[in-house]
Amino acid sequence: MNTIIIDGLAFALPLFIIAIGGIFSERSGITNLALEGFLGFGAFFGAVMVMAFTGGSVSGVEVPMFFTALIFAVIGGALFAMLHALLCIPFKANQVISGVVINILSAALTAFFTSQINTLLVGKPTNKFVLSVCQKFTVPGISKIPVLGAFFTDIYYYEPIIIVVALVAAYVLYKSRFGMRLRACGDNPHAVDAAGIDVAKTRFIAVMISGGLSGLGGMCFAYSISASFSPSIYAGYGFLAIAALIFGNWKIGPTLGACLIFGFARAAGYQLAQTLGLPSTFSDVIMILPYVLTLLLLMFFSQNNRAPRALGEIYDKGKR
Amino acid sequence: MKKTSSVNPFKRGFAAVLGNEKSQGITIPVFAILLSLVACAIIILALGKNPLTAFTSLLQGSGVLPKVTYAAKKSMFTDFMSMINEFTPMLFAALAVALALKTGLFNIGVSGQMLVAGFIATITVGYSKLPMAAALPLVLIIGIISGAAVGALIGWLKHRFNINEVVTSIMLNYIFEYLISYFINSYYINAISRQSQAISASASLTLANVALGGLKVDIPLGFILTIPVAFLVLFLLNRTRLGYELKVVGLNRRAAKYAGINVGRSLITSMALSGALAGLAGVTLYMGYYTSIQPRVLTSVGFDSIAVCLLGNMHPIGILFSSLLITVISKGGNYMSSIVGVPEEITEMITGLILLFSACGAFIRYRVSITKEEITEEKLRAKSAAAAEGGEKA
Amino acid sequence: MDEFIVEMRHITKRFPGITANDDVSISVKKGEIFALLGENGAGKSTLMSMLFGMYEPDEGEIYIRGKKVNITSPSHATQLNIGMVHQHFKLVENYTITENIILGQEPKARFLGLLPSVDIKGSNKKIAELSKKYGLEVDPTKKIEEINVSTRQRVEILKMLYREAEILIFDEPTAVLTPQEIEFLLEIIRGLRNSGKTVILITHKLEEIKKVADRCAILCRGKLVGVMDVADTSTKTMANMMVGRDVSFTTEKDKPRFGAEVLEVSHLTVKNHDSLPVVKDVSFKVRAGEIFAIAGVSGNGQTEVADAITGLADSCGGSIKLSGRDITKESVRERTLAGISYIPEDRHEVGLVLDFDLAENLALREYFKEPFCRKGILQEAAFEEHGKRLIEEYDIRSGQGTVTSVRSMSGGNQQKAIIAREIELGSELMIFVQPTRGLDIGAIENIHKQIIAQRDEGKAILLVSLELDEIINLADTIGVMYNGEMLNIAPAETLTANQVGEYMMGVKAV
Repeated sequence: MNTIIIDGLAFALPLFIIAIGGIFSERSGITNLALEGFLGFGAFFGAVMVMAFTGGSVSGVEVPMFFTALIFAVIGGALFAMLHALLCIPFKANQVISGVVINILSAALTAFFTSQINTLLVGKPTNKFVLSVCQKFTVPGISKIPVLGAFFTDIYYYEPIIIVVALVAAYVLYKSRFGMRLRACGDNPHAVDAAGIDVAKTRFIAVMISGGLSGLGGMCFAYSISASFSPSIYAGYGFLAIAALIFGNWKIGPTLGACLIFGFARAAGYQLAQTLGLPSTFSDVIMILPYVLTLLLLMFFSQNNRAPRALGEIYDKGKR
Repeated sequence: MKKTSSVNPFKRGFAAVLGNEKSQGITIPVFAILLSLVACAIIILALGKNPLTAFTSLLQGSGVLPKVTYAAKKSMFTDFMSMINEFTPMLFAALAVALALKTGLFNIGVSGQMLVAGFIATITVGYSKLPMAAALPLVLIIGIISGAAVGALIGWLKHRFNINEVVTSIMLNYIFEYLISYFINSYYINAISRQSQAISASASLTLANVALGGLKVDIPLGFILTIPVAFLVLFLLNRTRLGYELKVVGLNRRAAKYAGINVGRSLITSMALSGALAGLAGVTLYMGYYTSIQPRVLTSVGFDSIAVCLLGNMHPIGILFSSLLITVISKGGNYMSSIVGVPEEITEMITGLILLFSACGAFIRYRVSITKEEITEEKLRAKSAAAAEGGEKA
Repeated sequence: MDEFIVEMRHITKRFPGITANDDVSISVKKGEIFALLGENGAGKSTLMSMLFGMYEPDEGEIYIRGKKVNITSPSHATQLNIGMVHQHFKLVENYTITENIILGQEPKARFLGLLPSVDIKGSNKKIAELSKKYGLEVDPTKKIEEINVSTRQRVEILKMLYREAEILIFDEPTAVLTPQEIEFLLEIIRGLRNSGKTVILITHKLEEIKKVADRCAILCRGKLVGVMDVADTSTKTMANMMVGRDVSFTTEKDKPRFGAEVLEVSHLTVKNHDSLPVVKDVSFKVRAGEIFAIAGVSGNGQTEVADAITGLADSCGGSIKLSGRDITKESVRERTLAGISYIPEDRHEVGLVLDFDLAENLALREYFKEPFCRKGILQEAAFEEHGKRLIEEYDIRSGQGTVTSVRSMSGGNQQKAIIAREIELGSELMIFVQPTRGLDIGAIENIHKQIIAQRDEGKAILLVSLELDEIINLADTIGVMYNGEMLNIAPAETLTANQVGEYMMGVKAV
């Protein structure tokens, strides 16, 4: 039971921060299918910086390198997101195409550069940067409480970081001036324009934020699931995050719920397979649990599902 | 007062070539492709290699141009056939995306539908002892029906519960990936290849290693269907009542109701047809291009096909060409990297750049229309100036 | 020169293919209500859009308070204390009234005492006060999606006042309002003038100009035809100058010749999304050769009645009979085939598929039948022939004939196309909802003539309109709906416009 909570949180939180990134972009009116590409590129960028600073071997400096990686992952994600923003905003591209293209590009570019850099650093063109696993900590005292305590046990360092970032993001989106204008852009950009606000700039920043947050999430995945950066980072978590935010009706609170469901169901699946002593092949069947659960829940909760009104529409000042 | 600078000849040229609204559907994607080829050439130059050699080797690798030497029993024809083999599933997948898109639905679950179709056809016909004449049609039929069933399910969930089809598709992609992986690993695994047992040769849609005129060639039978199916989809959309209804639903739901169209039925039909096409893609991929299924992997064809569909402007004929282009690049990449010495990932970058530039199609159209307006304005001003002069003289 | 707060001199503005404003000069005095009159496409909105900074003139100059200015953007115009209420409101649906008004000039507060945030509470108070001051009462905490059209307009006005606009431009403000709402608005405009504001009113409604404007400039096809004092000029003169020819105000109508009963609605009840009844136990009958007009303030259930008869809305009580046959459970298509034509209120969102061409739209309700469709295959020749014939017979102006994209056609021609299509169905019952909304006098005349012609051919006509004049002009029988109920039904000749107006406000018949 505890393992479910621990592992579930460890997966749900990075997913959550990526989904929040998606919410920022989509609430401003820009369809964002590129979360997958952003998380990958952010993780790549963070990993590259770690390699650059440590010359290829991480041992001995895991913790400070970890935080360095996180910071650069955010930067890398935000920079790469500028591409999507450029395509969608001034270049008025079809936002769906742009998202898909960004994903393809991200996979291609990161694979290419990883093998090039590895050739330089270690002489072999491998497609992997080996990192370490993020360290965990346990809150003394509270962790002894049954059930509740599990939320405070074996927490990856990144989990509280994500929670703090998420709170800041929620504040920005719902309480700040910028957030208010951003959300208006996704409903009626003409109204925002008439109020004298620069719609293009607001959306651009929103997309960059989505890149930064996705990069953060991607880096956390790299440090927990695979302890490395490699092409396997593109496991579809970006699409899962999109499903989560659609399920959450483009609101941060319900999206957290969706991510927790995914995380706990996934962890529960693994646990179930283990306790039942099932052969490893069975773990595949268990893995479908979160997705089936989501579909069932959606059957009940999709009646009022409504996307931001101006989502995906290219904003044209001239149109009346 | 606005500045009265005249439109420079460079811009005029662009407007002339790209300005005709009727031909824009073709001229602008072509222009985008040319732009991206230039961009790729620059990158290749930066890597210290010759772009011309690179592009040539790309075409050679996919059998469009002849290579200098060939391995035994191989020729340009075999390379070309090999490329066509890869082209076939991509085309069907892109058509699947296009059909759904015309109804306003985004079928991001093509990969999952392909997997289901490929798997079911594999375990029913692929492992049977049926002779080719019976097996192949059966494979196609089962593939189409399986894909259609999944598509219909997605459409029904949308109609009945208003569940966003993007979410359903993503969920089903995962569910199928894991379920089928379980079944393969438990019952159909080949311990050596780590994939499902290979299907019998008589069930494969691609005739492998056929001895033909001194060569060993793969003949993708599925290809025979590609062009007819593309034209069929075109015919469906433009000339049939069903196509008319699907388009109205995609363009204006409320008007569709007003026109008396059963919207729910149209959504389900559209997704079912899209799924059927995805099913064709699935069987031509898993029982043609490949002869087994790798567990825990969802083919990227289903996602790349979205870009291919949009590159082809969602038009079946355009998709024929865009699928061809992307496949040529993908197939030739291996050869190009071995000949020229650029890393293989370059092909993905070229593809990515092409899609990038084509994504800017709307932007190019916009800039062209602005230039056209400037040209018209200039003409008007010239006219009124001439009239004023004429008036004064008189 | 000081008395003129706005001067626009020799303004010319061209768009591809058309000169929207051709050497137009107007001057507006401080504190007056200045009307800009003209048909659709005359250039009034374009002229004012330049005053509000949305476009820049190709030639000419603008002076505000005696100083020459280049107004480059709406924010610049706002800084010059110019405000504009657009015909198509620019409101964020899921925001409250307050949030919409303060957007762009949000006052600051401290969240949890520390973090900078937006002061919603304080703004709510300020806006409540502002709305009281100008007689524009609203509840600032309501969301836009919850409020009706005239309240939305108040929000747009409050937006201007919040930014301390001194020059207020109204673009066709009464196009979306009901008779009573129009009176309220005119009262508000008078109040604004009395507070010292300058009001510029863009409109094609002559009576309103007569009621409220001081002076009026008339535009016709981009040119300024004249500027006059409203008090000294008759509406007839204004109308003729606006159109460029003589205009008749009432449509010639023969005496009605009623035939058999075609439509019978009995105890009809319709519920909305929240399961609240919007049509309550409504009953009425329409005969062949009769124009039955349903009058009422917008939102009292009339549109839902029309939708229920056509099948676009589900009824949950009562019955609908067409020529004696019960059609209450039939689908939209079945009813169309049974003989109901429908000209809907929203020509863009319901009546047409904008991205289809004219031929495809003209066949929108019959495409599945011979000759348009044979065994599931569409017959292009039939589409073409039908399209050509209708374009010819109904004078539908399009750029490229049958292949014109309907999106590029003008509102009037789009409506002509819809009416042509629906008349060609040859149905015994024709339902028109707001058929002349947003159209100019010429188009309105034309459509009224068509409606009467159809009635004279023996069709049963159900007309739903918010324009009292239209109802008085056309109806043989008038039914008034209020709050979902059909309050009163009487032959048109027995009712005066005033009486109908009262019923619309809920005053029950004696």
